[in-house]
Amino acid sequence: MTSATEPRTGSAGEAADGAVPVTLHTVDGQRLEFPCAPGQSVLEAAAEWGAALPAACRQGTCGSCRATVVSGAYDLGAHSTQALPPGERANGGVLLCRTFPREALAAELPYGDSRIVYGSIPVREGTLTALDHVARDTVRLELVLEPDEEEGGGFQFDAGQFVEVEVPDSGGARRVYSLANTGNWDGVLELYVKLLPDGLFSSYLRERARVGDRLTVHGPQGAFGLRETGLRPRWFVAGGTGLAPLLSMARQMAEWQEPQQAWFCFGVNEEDDVFGEAPLQEIAAGLPGFTHEICVRRPGTRWQGAVGTPAERLAAALRTLDGTESPDIYVCGPPALIEAVTDVATAEGIPQDRVFRELFLPT
Amino acid sequence: MFCYQCEQADRTGEMLGCAGPLGNCGKDPATADLQDVLIHAVKGIAQYATRARALGAPDEEAAPFILYAVFTTLTNVNFNPTRFVALIQQAAAVRDRVRARYEDAARARGQQPEQLTGPARWEPAADLDGLLRQAPSYRVDAGLGAVGPDVVGLRSLHLYAIKGICAYSYHAHVLGQQNDDVSAGVEEALAYLAEQPTETEELLARAVGLGRLNLTVMEMLDAANTGTFGPQQPTAVRTTPVAGKAILVSGHDLRDLAALLEQTKDTGVNVYTHGEMLPAHAYPLLKAYPHLVGNYGGAWQDQQREFTKFPGPILMTSNCIIEPYPAYRRRIFTTGPVGWPGVRHLADRDFSALIKAAQAMPGFRADEPEERFITVGFGRDALLSVADKVTDAVRQGAIRHFFLVGGCDGPTVGREYYRDFALGAPDDSVVMTLGCAKYRFNGHDFGEIDGIPRLLDLGQCNDAFSAVKIAQALAGAFECGLDELPLTLALSWTEQKAVAVLLSLLALGFRNIHLGPSLPVYLTPGLVAALVDTFGLRTIGDPAIDVAAALERSAS
Repeated sequence: MTSATEPRTGSAGEAADGAVPVTLHTVDGQRLEFPCAPGQSVLEAAAEWGAALPAACRQGTCGSCRATVVSGAYDLGAHSTQALPPGERANGGVLLCRTFPREALAAELPYGDSRIVYGSIPVREGTLTALDHVARDTVRLELVLEPDEEEGGGFQFDAGQFVEVEVPDSGGARRVYSLANTGNWDGVLELYVKLLPDGLFSSYLRERARVGDRLTVHGPQGAFGLRETGLRPRWFVAGGTGLAPLLSMARQMAEWQEPQQAWFCFGVNEEDDVFGEAPLQEIAAGLPGFTHEICVRRPGTRWQGAVGTPAERLAAALRTLDGTESPDIYVCGPPALIEAVTDVATAEGIPQDRVFRELFLPT
Repeated sequence: MFCYQCEQADRTGEMLGCAGPLGNCGKDPATADLQDVLIHAVKGIAQYATRARALGAPDEEAAPFILYAVFTTLTNVNFNPTRFVALIQQAAAVRDRVRARYEDAARARGQQPEQLTGPARWEPAADLDGLLRQAPSYRVDAGLGAVGPDVVGLRSLHLYAIKGICAYSYHAHVLGQQNDDVSAGVEEALAYLAEQPTETEELLARAVGLGRLNLTVMEMLDAANTGTFGPQQPTAVRTTPVAGKAILVSGHDLRDLAALLEQTKDTGVNVYTHGEMLPAHAYPLLKAYPHLVGNYGGAWQDQQREFTKFPGPILMTSNCIIEPYPAYRRRIFTTGPVGWPGVRHLADRDFSALIKAAQAMPGFRADEPEERFITVGFGRDALLSVADKVTDAVRQGAIRHFFLVGGCDGPTVGREYYRDFALGAPDDSVVMTLGCAKYRFNGHDFGEIDGIPRLLDLGQCNDAFSAVKIAQALAGAFECGLDELPLTLALSWTEQKAVAVLLSLLALGFRNIHLGPSLPVYLTPGLVAALVDTFGLRTIGDPAIDVAAALERSAS
């Protein structure tokens, strides 16, 4: 028997003077209790105590460490309003990397205990086995990791999670990328990277990367993932390389033969930006009840497919439901897409807690 | 959420039972509520199935669906709300099919079909939220204010016995054994509950009737196991690992284990049993696989620690899964009725993903230096083959008494009683055991009496029929009733299969059974008094005193 009401507690060494207790509740009933020293963020205090909470940028810009404070006063440090919109902040929303408790603090985490890494985040080395330009400014990477001492050759993660990749010859700088494949026993990672003009990892990929290169990855990490909400349909809305985590989720649904109806809308700006048709078609072939479309916002004369933004396509699709069960919505992409999809969902009567978001910001 | 079906039920509040935020088994409120709704839906199938069967038009596919659906609601079987939403919709569809079959059969005989009420007419909500809104009406204690705690307690006893019967029947069914009388009995019992019975005497009498039905089921399961894999043979099982890739199989389903052994043949992957799968080593057609190398760990409640350390993937068949720790959550797989959210479920006995995981993982790097073994396999065939030797030993006074110490183990306090009871049995007594409670004492060397091992492992809890046959054989040899045998039963219970077995033993006439570590919370003081009066049921006390009292009763 496990008593889910017994908190996870551990030794954080001597509590610093002025430390205040922090209590975090996961969606599956787990409770974490640890001290937070003055000047320490909740994220840092949790890590010091032994729990790596889902987080990526750790500087208030990505939104990966969102939570909701239910009691206790705190200071909220500088952060991006895209990562934490004012409306969410007004309702207790915080970014734990920017949350500094002034007194005993309790907060709810939007994910289950399984997304918390107790101990250190795994670090693995691997070899670049594929480097394909799949669209204008978009590269698909495939890595095969070296076997791990304890876990062996596999690489297991939950669909929706990400890894941090160390940029070679950069002094250890890391960049965050969502995994596009599913957990596997071959040690394979599949990533999609948007090449940015001055991006650190983009420069490496454009100028120096070769199949056979050695790369170091930290993870898996991250709270984004599929939620168990019965047979409610799952709709996936992706923009650009935001395709990756949603592709992973849909692939997992196909592998596990999950029963929910699923609709996948992937949007890009121009047709030269289109990629991902093959994996989406592969999912459609293996998963009953899966439909997908790729839409282009500014199509050229050659484009035969859907036209518009993913949010527009979503709005149109929601209006066709006509009394049938409304879906959970999983959205990943740039801030404008997240905002537009959230607005569409609200307008069509989908509660906010059924829109699951992962924000992609350029780094 | 309200659930009090297992021994772990919360006893700290004014209302006995788990009411959230989580059950003590780890079940969340949504899953608990959906299980209530599924049981309600299955009762609706049964209402029509009994009538269709009476008209000679049984729905052959409804019976196994009922077994499977009910099995998913046992303790530590399925925690996945999505699976329950799907099962509820399936149940409604099966019910409508059986209803149509019944009504067609009635009309074909010139009868007007009955217009049934209750679960028969119930319509499930279309989605999870709607089903959860419906659930409070179908709580196991529904109607408490109107009918009182004794009636609710007896209805609960019925339901949980049915659950146990369905679980055992499912195990027999997957091995090709089906019995129309059992299907009819299950349907009738569920249909009876659908009518919300209120007569306590009738409920109690019918509960004993369920014990008799379960006896038929246990016989069927015994035939399925021995018929498929051969009769158990005494077998020494290694309990220390050997070098190599490894898969751990837990639960009770021998058919799943057999399929896995066949699929791992010649792959270099070793297979270990865990918990209730230990007796598998005694079946000739299973132990013939050389890569079924041993048993790892102990009873189910230790799985989080043991699975974390096991260097390979784990397969959970049938019940006994508890919350997977993050350390092994991505390398544990479920199959059959088992489920956990976010854990990979393998359907149709395709274990390729499991085998791939084993091949990717390190496995055991070296043989454990110390080799340790325990002996299993004293099923009824093995024991009855030496029945003459056993009865001679009794007649000559070498064996003074038999104890059956077994059942389910669990995490709750007080279960050390069974270890102390078994170890406290005198040297001129034999201890028979089954279920996973044995792990509390099966590492101990009990020695022998005239070449007969003093500790006899009869098998899984599923093998309770062996114990009955052995007792009946002894009673035959000594020309006495079962309650006159020098035999004392000390049963440890956790979940609903044990309830079915207990009712079987009571129905057979076994008396003075020591039951623990606590009694079911749904049995009111009045019901407990009735069971004590009628069947001499005893709670456990001090093990030394209980052993002494048993010997004294026997001597007198």
